[in-house]
Amino acid sequence: MSNPIVMHDEVPVETTSVDLTTGPEETTPDATIDDEEENIEDNKPPNYKRISDDDLYRHSSQYRFWSFSKERLREKRVNTNKIAADTIYKNILDFKNQQDLTQEQLDVLDARTQPLSVDDELKLINFYAKKVQVISQHLNLPTEIIATSISFFKKFFLENSVMQYDPKSLVHTTIFLACKAENYFISVDSFAKKAKPNREAILKYEFKLLESLKFSLLIHHPYKPLHGFFLDIQNVLHGKVDLNYMGQTYDKCKKKITEAILTDVVYLFTPPQITLAILMIEDEALITKYLELKFSVNSEKKNNDTISFSTLLTIINDCKSFIQEEKSVSTDDARKIAAQNFFCQNPMDLIQRMKRKQPEEETTASPEKKPRVA
Amino acid sequence: MSTEITTPITQTEYTKEKKVGEGTYAVVYLGTKQSTGRQIAVKEIKTSEFKDGLDMSAIREVKYLQEIQHDNVIELVDIFMAYDNLNLVLEFLPSDLEVIIKDRSILFTPADIKSWMLMTLRGVHHCHRNFILHRDLKPNNLLLSPDGVIKVADFGLARAVPSPHEMLTSNVVTRWYRAPELLFGAKHYTSAIDIWSVGVIFAELMLRIPYLPGQNDIDQMEVTFRALGTPTDKEWPEVSSFGSYNKLQIYPPPSIDELRKRFIAASENALNFMCGMLTMNPKKRWNAIECLESEYFKEMPPPSDPSEIKIK
Repeated sequence: MSNPIVMHDEVPVETTSVDLTTGPEETTPDATIDDEEENIEDNKPPNYKRISDDDLYRHSSQYRFWSFSKERLREKRVNTNKIAADTIYKNILDFKNQQDLTQEQLDVLDARTQPLSVDDELKLINFYAKKVQVISQHLNLPTEIIATSISFFKKFFLENSVMQYDPKSLVHTTIFLACKAENYFISVDSFAKKAKPNREAILKYEFKLLESLKFSLLIHHPYKPLHGFFLDIQNVLHGKVDLNYMGQTYDKCKKKITEAILTDVVYLFTPPQITLAILMIEDEALITKYLELKFSVNSEKKNNDTISFSTLLTIINDCKSFIQEEKSVSTDDARKIAAQNFFCQNPMDLIQRMKRKQPEEETTASPEKKPRVA
Repeated sequence: MSTEITTPITQTEYTKEKKVGEGTYAVVYLGTKQSTGRQIAVKEIKTSEFKDGLDMSAIREVKYLQEIQHDNVIELVDIFMAYDNLNLVLEFLPSDLEVIIKDRSILFTPADIKSWMLMTLRGVHHCHRNFILHRDLKPNNLLLSPDGVIKVADFGLARAVPSPHEMLTSNVVTRWYRAPELLFGAKHYTSAIDIWSVGVIFAELMLRIPYLPGQNDIDQMEVTFRALGTPTDKEWPEVSSFGSYNKLQIYPPPSIDELRKRFIAASENALNFMCGMLTMNPKKRWNAIECLESEYFKEMPPPSDPSEIKIK
């Protein structure tokens, strides 16, 4: 952060239209006197700027470090993959040169020790991200912490390749750090008791994880916007929505948000945009009506910060299709990729296995030291 | 936009020249950023305490300082790992309000106090609008830059503003600056606890001695309510339902004359401002915006220019 952006309030009295510091129960200050506000407007100091919620979001580390365009996201993955793949190529070449190998062995090596492709790598990451979710659910962690765990895990493997770090060895580390980051402290010993790995394994990559996260631990999940939208929908469509139905929809949306966190939308869209996309998937008619009402009211107020209804719809639909296109990775696929990942890092195991199995016909893809994916 | 904290662990980039402080979980050194010659402070988190991996206070500090870039909040310059120790590189801040309050050779004026309050509240407001509670505001954590600017520091106890039904620990904030709802052991509280602390700090700046110096947690209630009156259900509905309420001595709130006598130099607006922050009922207590909009900041004298306050 050699050149940090500093939020500077140029005026002592900064009037914000929304009081961000208090909850909906608490009333906004009534101390704002109209003519005083006018006075401030008239005497605006040179760099006067009213800070909006969007400005605040743009200062978050989530926006600064972890929000990308689709192209940039792909570029990052290609880059991470390439660095690891280059090392693998070099190691395999060295291995071939050092060992006295038969043509058959060389052929098998060429076939089985290729570094993972970007897409295979992503499949393996997504497979394990799902594991993070399942394990943290087993540990009965609150929804937000589960989401943070998934997010930490995915970010670690945006910066590092599964060919450099075994995804399995990061699963518990991410859950453990997520608990601490969310102020939900569990001692490492009691955590190790509930989870399989021992404390050393849990802590081994903790700093590496923190570093890979760019020390950005505060994550804005879409759960809070979901709550906000539900309060506002009930307000805007007062008397026109069934509260029971709304309650059920809320719970369904919450589950869908956790699913969405497993996808790339978290890097490409803001939390409220993701929330709206989920709401759109859940009840398109209701949300369309709600948004139409919001925009019809807002259109009277000329505000530079607001976007047009159609632009917003485009964003929401874009986000929606990302969520809907996501396919889960089968255990079989994951196992195959994990085997390839294992052999490209351990060519000797492949050769030894060939020697041992020489007379037999190869039947399964599972190596001697079968990389467990379950 | 700002550049992210760089990952290369360049421990040689930062020198540690002199140990300037030691806390329960960290040692602070004065140092230099080699590439620029900038003076910095390095907070080295003690690893020996790391039986549960990275320390919670360090995690909180990193987490919240990463989100806040504001003139009145300490700047997190960099983070690096050296010899298994986590090191936070912070901007170098040579003094703090506690030192200044205690140093009898330093004279400061009501305009200086106003300037410090303004800067403190801007920093606190920025935390609150980012949904962050500091939970340990006290003169010792309000640091001063070489050009006199207040920087809110030490986010080791900070947390996110809780959701409506979240249960929290009331064992936060250094005793003398602890809001009444915390003294009562409330399981839920809001950013109002930080404002109370600012109110107590304001009083201390005017008196130049701690305003509510309780000897222990029980005495803190006694001292607080003797000075400001015991809250009743009338002004704070259901306050009497707190477990410890029944044992309390009921004191009347101080009359305006009593306050005037205690705070001789304070104007009516200054007293009103203080009372707004020291309101018993957290729901009625002023929030950071109300404080910043207070008449106190608009009346004479205007707040001093920070760089012109003589503190040495």
